[in-house]
Amino acid sequence: MKHLTEEELIEHYYSEDFYKAESEAHLQACKHCAQAYEELGKLLSNVRASEPPMRGAEYGAQVWQSIQGSLRPYQSKTKRSYFRWPQLGYAAACLLFLAGAFLAGRIWEHAHTQPSLATTPQQARERVVLFVLDNHLDRSERLLVQLNHAGAEEEKVDLPLQAEARQLLTDNRLYRQSIAPANDPLLAAALDHLERVLLEVANSPDELSSADIARIEKEMNTQGLLFQIRVLRTKVSGQETNAQATRKGATI
Amino acid sequence: MGNEDHALIRTVLAGEKDAYGLLVARHSQSVFRVAFRITENEADAEEIVQEAFLRGYRKLESFDARASFRTWIYRIAVNCALDVLNKRKHQAAVPIAEEHDGEQGTVQPADGAAGPDRLLLSQEIEARRQTAMEKLTPTERLAFVLRHMEDRSTEEIATALGIAPNSAKQAVFRAVQKLRQSLAPLWVKS
Ligand SMILES: [Zn+2]
Repeated sequence: MKHLTEEELIEHYYSEDFYKAESEAHLQACKHCAQAYEELGKLLSNVRASEPPMRGAEYGAQVWQSIQGSLRPYQSKTKRSYFRWPQLGYAAACLLFLAGAFLAGRIWEHAHTQPSLATTPQQARERVVLFVLDNHLDRSERLLVQLNHAGAEEEKVDLPLQAEARQLLTDNRLYRQSIAPANDPLLAAALDHLERVLLEVANSPDELSSADIARIEKEMNTQGLLFQIRVLRTKVSGQETNAQATRKGATI
Repeated sequence: MGNEDHALIRTVLAGEKDAYGLLVARHSQSVFRVAFRITENEADAEEIVQEAFLRGYRKLESFDARASFRTWIYRIAVNCALDVLNKRKHQAAVPIAEEHDGEQGTVQPADGAAGPDRLLLSQEIEARRQTAMEKLTPTERLAFVLRHMEDRSTEEIATALGIAPNSAKQAVFRAVQKLRQSLAPLWVKS
């Protein structure tokens, strides 16, 4: 009987062997190989990675700060009309980005200073808030993308924008009233700005023309708002992931 | 998620540098995790993250729109990690005095028990594992981390490192053999 080589055993361990069934059958039949395989398994199952230390939610912003100075903007070859980035100044963009990071960092710290490892009602509530908020920002983002897209088209607009705007408006009021502006100035400002846009869209005549949308877009700086919401979403969903990771870590 | 990454990339290529900041924000945590697993050093991992996103930015025009940015930046990070490991290897020789002698004390693993013996054993394993990892060549170490800790296939490892699949496989074998030499004495042969 030809025994399995060490290489074959290792391949089998990582399920990368070509003749999996044959190896399996041999291991069932051969005590010698079965023992070698068991020892290998014991060895490898004891080799675990050191867990990476946690990075705060502001980590991405720090990395960006450290590299952005040495990056030159690409020369735009063809401006794409279907996706336009707000023409924010460099400083304004950085400020927004850092403010978002600050906000998320604050939430993150808050979530991580909870004393107990077990899930407290407070933590559970925070996760729900984050989930709901992310969901709301996601829907708002989509509406703004549709709106900006529609404004760039020449034809008449026929999108269920208003119905969606009305729904979002109700939710948005609730969230805006429930957060303390002093604690979350960026979020408060974004929700406030969002509310004005939603109100405008919701109260527009039934058939919005692309000229109407273009006007809303321009007057209300919806591109700028979209950017703000994207920044907030990145941070909120990052925080949500962190909260989940913490919960998982706590149950091990 | 993927589509948003692509939209951001188009925006960066259209001249809006700051959109890259959002890509960095989205992916820096996962890049940091793999960089740390490979190097097991916080400062090195942070250096890799920065370097990976710098290289990513400069190579962004070559990004294939059908690919995932996450996978793409992951590969770049793996290559940066390889560079860091190579640099480390050249800069400082492994302190041989700290190596564990394989013949020294054999510890009985108290299977199923969670007592102090078990704790001592896991500390010993951890110390020896670290020493053994330092003895691997950069390619062996990387291949092993990607295979064993990141659960990547031989194909993926080969692609990430730009080597033939068979070389990747051999690198994993050699790594396991070396780890076995360092760690096997800890198990009492029954
Ligand atoms: Zn056999």
